[in-house]
Order: sequence, then structure tokens, then C-alpha cells
Amino acid sequence: MSDEEHHFESKADAGASKTYPQQAGTIRKNGHIVIKNRPCKVVEVSTSKTGKHGHAKCHFVAIDIFTGKKLEDIVPSSHNCDVPHVNRTDYQLIDISEDGFVSLLTENGNTKDDLRLPTDDNLLALIKDGFAEGKDLVLSVMSAMGEEQICGIKDVGPK
Amino acid sequence: MGEALNVMESVRSIVFKESENLEGSATKIEGYDFNKGVNYAELFKSMASTGFQAANLGDAIQIVNQMLDWRLSHEQPMEDCSEEERDVAYRESVTCKIFLGFTSNLVSSGVRDTIRYLVQHRMVDVVVTTAGGIEEDLIKCLAPTYKGDFSLPGAVLRSKGLNRIGNLLVPNDNYCKFENWIIPIFDQMYEEQIKEKVLWTPSKVIARLAKEINDETSYLYWAYKNRIPVFCPGLTDGSLGDMLYFHSFKKGDPDNPDLNPGLIIDIVGDIRAMNSEAVHAGSRKTGMIILGGGLPKHHVCNANMMRNGADFAVYINTAQEFDGSDSGARPDEAVSWGKIRGGAKTVKVHCDATIAFPILVAETFAAKRKELSHIRCQV
Repeated sequence: MSDEEHHFESKADAGASKTYPQQAGTIRKNGHIVIKNRPCKVVEVSTSKTGKHGHAKCHFVAIDIFTGKKLEDIVPSSHNCDVPHVNRTDYQLIDISEDGFVSLLTENGNTKDDLRLPTDDNLLALIKDGFAEGKDLVLSVMSAMGEEQICGIKDVGPK
Repeated sequence: MGEALNVMESVRSIVFKESENLEGSATKIEGYDFNKGVNYAELFKSMASTGFQAANLGDAIQIVNQMLDWRLSHEQPMEDCSEEERDVAYRESVTCKIFLGFTSNLVSSGVRDTIRYLVQHRMVDVVVTTAGGIEEDLIKCLAPTYKGDFSLPGAVLRSKGLNRIGNLLVPNDNYCKFENWIIPIFDQMYEEQIKEKVLWTPSKVIARLAKEINDETSYLYWAYKNRIPVFCPGLTDGSLGDMLYFHSFKKGDPDNPDLNPGLIIDIVGDIRAMNSEAVHAGSRKTGMIILGGGLPKHHVCNANMMRNGADFAVYINTAQEFDGSDSGARPDEAVSWGKIRGGAKTVKVHCDATIAFPILVAETFAAKRKELSHIRCQV
């Protein structure tokens, strides 16, 4: 993960800009980019120099960080692209409700109850099984452009 | 002794076989005499009697002049033709329909300006070219093409951002200007496709770009103004295609092509329009002037097949026929396909069109400009 993600504390709903501009030619593989209004992780960059096709161009293949859908874009390398602020926050899992929502403990002691269990089968099984076994679980929540999703799990062991 | 004489006689008759007399039936070979001073009109006229490709160019001049001189009134009225078609004034006004095809390199060259002259004065009726034949004309309105050399090394040119077309050079910067100019126009065309249900065809795209360039040095601009259709079934095979490719990422959605396919260009609409130009030529004769080979050559010939062949054909190219490609095929091959009529006047000039075509135009269209301006404006 690149550095810039950690400079910004803004949560999606903090009113700050959800994205920032970055020159297309400086965006690298494993960085982030907005394609068709979706926050994506870049999995492939190819560039073509200035030529018969006009200005130098960057061709991005990227994966939507929430849906996993593949998206493509071509941008002149001197133009600015929108790059999403992507944050990861860890919360301790308190409860799983029957309707598929989780209860999380925030840093300041409040609960956060607006997140669903992830759709990824492996992660879902880890969370459910771990919770059933009474383990103390910490969930990583990824947020970008006003969306949040549980994306990881850490087993901090029984107390 | 008598037998020996007989043998000598028969040998003699074989070696000195009596000639057919060509006097009066064939052109006598002679070149221009510079003792008469430098007279270009006479010099060009002397080509027909010079031989080899000069003679073929002379024939081409003659055939194009026949195209320009032909009137329906020269033909006997068909028995089943209408009253209007029998009208002498009408028959005098019906001219030969001329299809002009050329490859993109010629638009990169100065032949572009010869083509512009023909289109500007409505001297041709239908134009066919390749993608480069469209974009090079537009790009020249934004930035010039320069003279280079055939032997300039590719890697050095690449490092300097220069593209070579024969002994011409086109800087990359020209294509950047072209991109800056054309992308907003594609955006507008896309809007019109969505909001006004415009179905674009290559010829409609070309007319739109010609309208936007609005430059009197452009042959496309004059074609647009004079409503001369410009067909280009290979519109995507060039920088224009590169631009359309990039544009498809901006506008199209590959996952939802039904909802949002991006800019659509329909080639079927154009093949219908192109063939209609030949089919609906009606009582007019048709003539083809084709510079270079490839797509423009075949496309013009193929359309003329729809009316059982063209009546006049002038090819100017240096392609050879022995590989079977249509580019090098002589007019007679097109006769076998029904693309040229059996009794048509045809010639292939084996010459670089940058030399032959301006001379051809000088001795035909340009020389007849005054009389053509009366006739061809009304068609």
C-alpha cells in the first residue's frame, strides 16, 4: 500500500474530498484510480509514447476495490486522474446480528452497526467460525468514496 | 539448282516476312523537339507519341477528355426512353459521372491540392479514399507536412518524434493537435447519436469533420460544401481509428453495449450509398480515375459492377499484377468481373501519381475549366 493512504484521516462522510488529482503518468501498478466513478486498484499499466495516435497515453486495467469488477481506461499521461482516498480502520467485533450486520467497537468506545458481513466466502467463514468459537476478532474495514466494506480479519486470540 | 533457289526463296519469305502496313492506322513515334522552345502544352501533347508510359499517360489524357466531353446527346435515344429523356437540351446536360479514388499517401503529398482543385470546382462526382486520405487532409489544416528523405533512419526519426511517409515527414505534434481538435467533435457526435438518434456512417462522419475544419485548403471542406460524397469504408485504419479507439473508453461501456455502446459508425449505410451512386447513375456513363491501389481502387470498381461496369477507366499506379493482388491488376482483369464494360476505354499508367496526375489534370480538367463550370455545376 502506498503512503498517501495514511496521510488522510478523512472518513468518507467527513465532508472532505473523496478523491485527489494525480497525473496519469505517475500512477503505478498497485496504486489506486477512479474509473467510471468507481474506486479501483491498478493491476496493469501500459504506456504508449506520443505518436500517430496523438499524445502519450496510459492504459490502466484496474479492479473495483469493493465489487472486484475489472475496469479499463485510457488517459493522456499528462492529464490528471482522480485517485480515491482509501482508508483501512481496524475495529473489534462485538456481535453478529441475524440479519447479517455486525456490531463493531470504535476507538472512542462507541459502536458501529452499519456494516454487513462480507460477501467473500472465505472471509465470511473465518468471521462466523471465529465468532462462534468465542475468539476475539479484529476486523479491517476499507473505506473509499463513501463506501465501506469489511476486507480483513485478525485473530487477537482469547483474552 | 532450281531446288536451291526455292529453298532460298522460302527462307527469304520467313526472314523478311512482309509487313502489315501501319501507316495511318497507328501513331508514329516521335518526341518533342526543343528547337520549338519550351512549350509545356506541346511537350505534354508529345507524350502520346513518345512511347512507353509517356504514351500511356497520353492515352489517359485522351480518355479523361472523352469522359469530360461525353454527353447523352452523343448517343441515340433508347426506344423505351421517356419524352423528357428525348429532349435535346436535357440530353446535352447529361454528363459522365466521374468516380475519383486515391490512396492516403497522395493526400500526404502535394497531390492533395490537385484533388482539392477538382472537388472545389465540382469536376468529380464521387470520392473514395482510405483513413489517411481523410485525416492527412484535416491535419494539414492544423500543421504542415515537411519534405524529408527516403533514406532517413527510422530509429533516429522515432527519437525525434518524426514519422516518415516516403520522403515526407510528419511530426508527432501534428497528431497531438489533431487529437485535441477531434475528440471534442466526437463527443458532440456521440451526444447527437444519443439525443437526436443520429446514425453515423463513415461518409457522414467525414462530412461533419469537413464542416468543422472549415478551411478552404481542405479538399474535404469543398466536398462538403459541394455535396460530393467522400466514402471511406476503412475509416478506422489510421490515426482516426486510434482516436475512435481512445474515445470508446471514454463513452462506451463494454459490459453494457446495449445500454451504452459508445460512438457507432455504420458501414452498411455507406455501402448502400456508394453502390447507389453507380446504380442510380441512370443514363449517364461512368468513368473511374484511380490513383494507387488497395481499397480505393477496388471500392470504386466494385460499385461500378452494380451497373454492369464503368465506361471509362484510368488507373495510375506502379503495382505489378504477378502476385494476384487487385492493386496491380490491369483494367482487363476488372472487365472479367464486370466492373468495367467490354467496350470501355481503359488505360493503366505505370507511374508515380505525384508525377502523372498533375500533368493529367493540367491537360484535361484544368484545360476545360471554363466549359466544365457551365455544365457540371448543374448536375
